[in-house]
Amino acid sequence: MNSILLLEDLPEIRAWLSSLVVQVFPGAQIAEAARVHDALGLVSAIKFDLALVDLGLPDGSGVDVVAALREHQPETQSVVVTIHDDDEHLFPALQAGAFGYILKEQARELIIEQLQRISQGEPPLSPSIARRVMAYFTAKSKPQPMSASSASIPHVSLTDRETEVLLRVAKGYTLPEIGVQLTLSRHTIADYVKQIYRKLNVSSRAEAALEAQRMGLFGR
Amino acid sequence: MSRCGWHHGLHVLLCLGLLWLAAAGAAAQTQTVRIHAAQALVSDSPDFPAAQSAPLVALPDAWSLSRPGSDGPVWYRLTFTAPGLRENGELLALFIEHVCSNLQVHLNGQLIHSGGRMHEPITRNCNHPQLISLPSGLIGPGLNSLDLKVVGHALQRVASVHRAGALSALVIGPQSVLADRHARQLALNVAVPQALSAMLLLLGSFMFVLGWTRRRESHLGYFGALSVGWALIESRLWLRDLPFDNATAELLLCAVLPLLTWASVQFLLRFAQYRHRGIDIALPLQALVMPATLLLAGPERLYAMASFWYVLLPLQTLAAAGFCLSTQYRAQRPSFWPMALLLCMATLALVAQYAAQIFGIRGLTMQLAQIAAPVTVMLVGLLLLKEQGPAPAAAEDNKAHLESRIREATAEIERNFTQLAELRVEKVTERERKRIAADLHDDLGAKLLTIVHTSDSERISTLAREALEEMRLSVRGLTGKPVRLIDALGDWRAEVVSRLGQAGIEADWSAPAEELPQTLSARAFVQTTRILREAISNVIKHSGATHCSLRCDLADGDMHIVVRDNGNGIPMELDGRLDRGHGMASMKHRAKQLQGQCLVESGPGYGTVIRLTLPLNRATELA
Repeated sequence: MNSILLLEDLPEIRAWLSSLVVQVFPGAQIAEAARVHDALGLVSAIKFDLALVDLGLPDGSGVDVVAALREHQPETQSVVVTIHDDDEHLFPALQAGAFGYILKEQARELIIEQLQRISQGEPPLSPSIARRVMAYFTAKSKPQPMSASSASIPHVSLTDRETEVLLRVAKGYTLPEIGVQLTLSRHTIADYVKQIYRKLNVSSRAEAALEAQRMGLFGR
Repeated sequence: MSRCGWHHGLHVLLCLGLLWLAAAGAAAQTQTVRIHAAQALVSDSPDFPAAQSAPLVALPDAWSLSRPGSDGPVWYRLTFTAPGLRENGELLALFIEHVCSNLQVHLNGQLIHSGGRMHEPITRNCNHPQLISLPSGLIGPGLNSLDLKVVGHALQRVASVHRAGALSALVIGPQSVLADRHARQLALNVAVPQALSAMLLLLGSFMFVLGWTRRRESHLGYFGALSVGWALIESRLWLRDLPFDNATAELLLCAVLPLLTWASVQFLLRFAQYRHRGIDIALPLQALVMPATLLLAGPERLYAMASFWYVLLPLQTLAAAGFCLSTQYRAQRPSFWPMALLLCMATLALVAQYAAQIFGIRGLTMQLAQIAAPVTVMLVGLLLLKEQGPAPAAAEDNKAHLESRIREATAEIERNFTQLAELRVEKVTERERKRIAADLHDDLGAKLLTIVHTSDSERISTLAREALEEMRLSVRGLTGKPVRLIDALGDWRAEVVSRLGQAGIEADWSAPAEELPQTLSARAFVQTTRILREAISNVIKHSGATHCSLRCDLADGDMHIVVRDNGNGIPMELDGRLDRGHGMASMKHRAKQLQGQCLVESGPGYGTVIRLTLPLNRATELA
């Protein structure tokens, strides 16, 4: 982790997060931004390895920055750092390509641990988010009228294992517990979760593209 | 002679239902003398022109046969001896069944009776039988001469045979006997038709107004016009002295006929629900053309021209009647049979009148036909009324039905409106909640967050963090949707297990795994989450436990959650209560808010057991 984007509007919290990032990733370059506009400017100029993005910002939503990163720097790991723990706020960010989220008010040590895990490829997943993801893919898998345009879009669906993991997360089991239940290693479970996040993003993007096509934005 | 009187009585009895004593007439036969011949002479002299020789003519004397083209006046003379008739000293009288148009009577040279004006416009007495009392003082013992001066019109100058100059046979007899005959004749010729026409006028006006106000029932209007027109024709029975001469009177009378035809034909067609534009135009046109042709033909050819129309006009009505009946028959309308009967009656009456017109028949047939026609019209009117009768009731029903429909619709609109209003209120409330939630997050949340991460005091940081969590839960309780119980259990498990795990406490969670149909309101979910969070915080902070079990069961509509640890237990306060910084009071308060209870059992060395009981139905619906 050499280059890190930090988007947060509250100065104290930004400074606190910055100190935290320095502690986790010593020697990393940290680019700070307080507004969406500034962050987008940075995204077009600098290549980031990690981005910590707040959602509620004075000039818009951090979701746009997550989407821009996904678009221009697919390798960057976006993590939502927010005060909202409800899926109403989080789900759009996850769809836009965020790999997990961190609740800001948690104790310093907890956040450090989560950051480390995320950087190691173990994003967190709460029961309510898991339910939301399942509902999303269930709705998608329902038979839809086929058309020429929808056929050209890759159909993304979850594997049985991924669904199994989601189901267990939704019931309140922690990832290590699920690993024990499925006799899988902690890393394998983490991979499933990452894969689920990725598929959510891909599917959402495909859906957005299809929607745009439907509305005649392109493909005329 | 006797046959005639008896027959009259019988027919009157049959036709009018009046109980007349026929026997009285029979008894009087012998005393009356019928005179079948008289000397006759055309002269306008004030007295019988005795100087000229007067030929004998048979009575009845129709001028159209005996003196064609003559308008009179004609003097008639007859002689009679009184003894046989005066035996019992009764008053004698002369009865004239039909004299047209008017007469004066002289007895032995003395004027004893005048029927009205003898010059144009002549009083029209054609329908009125005459009864003239013969003053006893003027009757001599020998031959008495009775002179009658009759004024009238030649047949060609009138539209009907019945109004052409004529004198019927004469009857002389006791006044008491003849008065009865006169009364009967008068009733048949005048009184009954007058009464009928008065009724027709009433009925017709009523129907006309009814048809006028209800345009869909136009046949009623035409029927009204027909009735009123008929009454108009019969008005000649009321008005014997008209202010204009014979030609004008005849023309006016004839001009009503095409109007009657118009009304009757249209009535029949509209009744059959048939309408034709050509007919609509042709009939009024005919009503103008007919009098025009009569005018063109001139008064000298009035009778010929009128006869032509007399054929044409009834034929139109007959055709319309046939059409009406055939459509009614095809449509199988219930009014077919009575209508058919009445139209047959009307046709018969029409034919009879027509025959009487052509052959100049007077008497019973003519009289019956004259009465039958208006009676038929009236019966048709009653039939129409009978058909119309249920209409107001049906309209009333329709109205009631409509009103109830309107009431229902109004109620539904009101319901919808209320629902809409509620929806709008809900929507506005929802929006406001979201705004408040966003504000809380942005302002209070940010400030609390800053305190959490900038305070030097761990205690203040913790307090602020807890406040932040509380705030978030409150917001969720404010804006949240109902939570499925199975989802709530998942959320609680994840939080409890990971928190205990982070604190290094072994966690044992058990809860129903099957699909649960119940839901929790957002508030119930939030309150329960808080209670559990508090309980787990207590375990982590104060108990010193190494193991914590959490069991959730559903029984009897209640949800039981038992949190049990193997820690130190909660030390007793001096007053025997368990609390002080352990949030027991708030846990109990929250459980109470959900109509449940929270019991805490604790003893040094035994650990702590928290038993939470929440009524699920209440928690589901209320809270």
